[in-house]
Amino acid sequence: MKIFTSLMLNKFFYVLFFLTFSLCAQAVDSELNLTETSWQQGLQKVWRDDIQFHGFLSQGLFSTTGNNIYGNSKNSVSAGLTEIGLNVSYQALNNLSFAVQGLYRRAGQRTGDWGEVSLDFAFVDLNFLNFRDGRMGVRGGRVKNPWGLYNETRDVAFTHPTISLPLTYFDRSRTLFLSMDGGQFYADYNTAIGVFSFKFNYGFIQADDPELLQSIVLDPNIPGHLESKSSFITHLSYETVDRDFMFAFSYADVRLTYIEHGGFDPYAGLEGEIDALMFSGQYNGERFSFTGEYSLHWNRMRGLMQDNSPVSEMWYVQAGYRVLDNLQIMLRYDSYVQNKYDKKGESFHANTGLPAHLMFTQDIVVGVRWDITPAWMLRAEYQRVHGASAVSLLDNPNIMDLALNWNVYALQLAFRF
Amino acid sequence: MRQYFMGKGRVLKIYKVCRLIIVHALLIYTPCSLAVEVITHTDASVSLTQVKDLRAIFSMRLRYWPDGSKIRVFVLPDNNALHKKFVKEKLHMFPHQLRRTWDRMTYTGTGQPPVTVNSNAEMLEKIQNTPNAIGYIEINEANK
Repeated sequence: MKIFTSLMLNKFFYVLFFLTFSLCAQAVDSELNLTETSWQQGLQKVWRDDIQFHGFLSQGLFSTTGNNIYGNSKNSVSAGLTEIGLNVSYQALNNLSFAVQGLYRRAGQRTGDWGEVSLDFAFVDLNFLNFRDGRMGVRGGRVKNPWGLYNETRDVAFTHPTISLPLTYFDRSRTLFLSMDGGQFYADYNTAIGVFSFKFNYGFIQADDPELLQSIVLDPNIPGHLESKSSFITHLSYETVDRDFMFAFSYADVRLTYIEHGGFDPYAGLEGEIDALMFSGQYNGERFSFTGEYSLHWNRMRGLMQDNSPVSEMWYVQAGYRVLDNLQIMLRYDSYVQNKYDKKGESFHANTGLPAHLMFTQDIVVGVRWDITPAWMLRAEYQRVHGASAVSLLDNPNIMDLALNWNVYALQLAFRF
Repeated sequence: MRQYFMGKGRVLKIYKVCRLIIVHALLIYTPCSLAVEVITHTDASVSLTQVKDLRAIFSMRLRYWPDGSKIRVFVLPDNNALHKKFVKEKLHMFPHQLRRTWDRMTYTGTGQPPVTVNSNAEMLEKIQNTPNAIGYIEINEANK
């Protein structure tokens, strides 16, 4: 815990340092304003144009029946989801830039009542090839993982359609795809038929996540933690010229190893490898939008008592309609089965005695989103859920009590700049 | 970028090279009297005759003028009527599509979105005073 706290502080100071540094640069800039020498004005202009600050903030309210989400929401109200991000980007040279984002997140038991501060991304971007119709480059540091349509900006409320992300992005697997410490190669190409974009991330994920570990072993008392081995995630997308249609293919190979704690640890030697793919398609018209994503995860866990190598299948279809330019209604059907050869969880239940509905979730989401101004947004949604494969086991520690059919009522206010 | 460091003659120099190019080629003649026009402040020889190029510039994919200087993009807020008109008529897109592209780059650190100005007057002022700028203004069709 001590190490954890100091690590968190470390990250916090890192972000603080970066922001202070940038603010100093801004302060210097305004002093320069008083002098008349033109190179100083020039310098000032360079600063002002090339450094940008952006951020976002969102607060959710949840009330549920049956199971908890983001804290104590069952038959009560939980304000357990808060997300605050602040970033600064600096275009130092035409082909060299820096970007860093700090994230504060409070999401139920997973982060505790006080939430967590983390370094969301921090990288150097070298855009080594630039031509009229495209570009190519590398980014080094901590980069966001391009997984499906929403993963890169999963914590920015404005950028995804409903309060709760589709099940394929379920929170328990958050750290699997969140970001990579390593590098990214990227290439964009504008053609007469549309824009092609390719990204390849290689490095290490932030695997030390109790939620992820528990979803693998289903044991709240497991003493050790997970560490990442070298992994990669790649993403190819195509957008039509008028940006009406978008298609993407993502592929990930994430490898984990269990670090045992103490002398006798029954889980010593546990290794995991997750290969996953995702197909994404979206139509984004003036009024209507349709989105669908299909993904498969091949989970291979070695070193557990019983074989735990299911193939998980997730997909959803979603429709949106803009009643007004700033008022949108959404409808989604979502499905997630932990093992596509045991869709109803029957053999899982027979083998373990645990509730079968830990192995699947199907839900329907109805939502309305109101963009009050370009900076403020308010939305509300209702979710009817059948199954519990995506609930947080930290918020619902009593596995035997998980409800099969339950409801979620949610409200969210968000701000960005 | 060079222009910023030219010493005392800089202001004059900028006015000399400053050309406010009004691009007519893309204008769609609509019955209403107010139209939206793309304006630039650059001495790079560019012909913005293709929707594709304008789209690439405003979605921040094409980032440099042919002479290598960085394009400075200015826009009005998403809910501004002129912005909506511009995006539809000149880019053949919808504001929410542009916003999606900008958001993705802003919140992943992979790019910087355009600078948002709050009024037509501010837009004109920024374009006049920012070398390598591009934006759009409302013009009266009758004055053309």
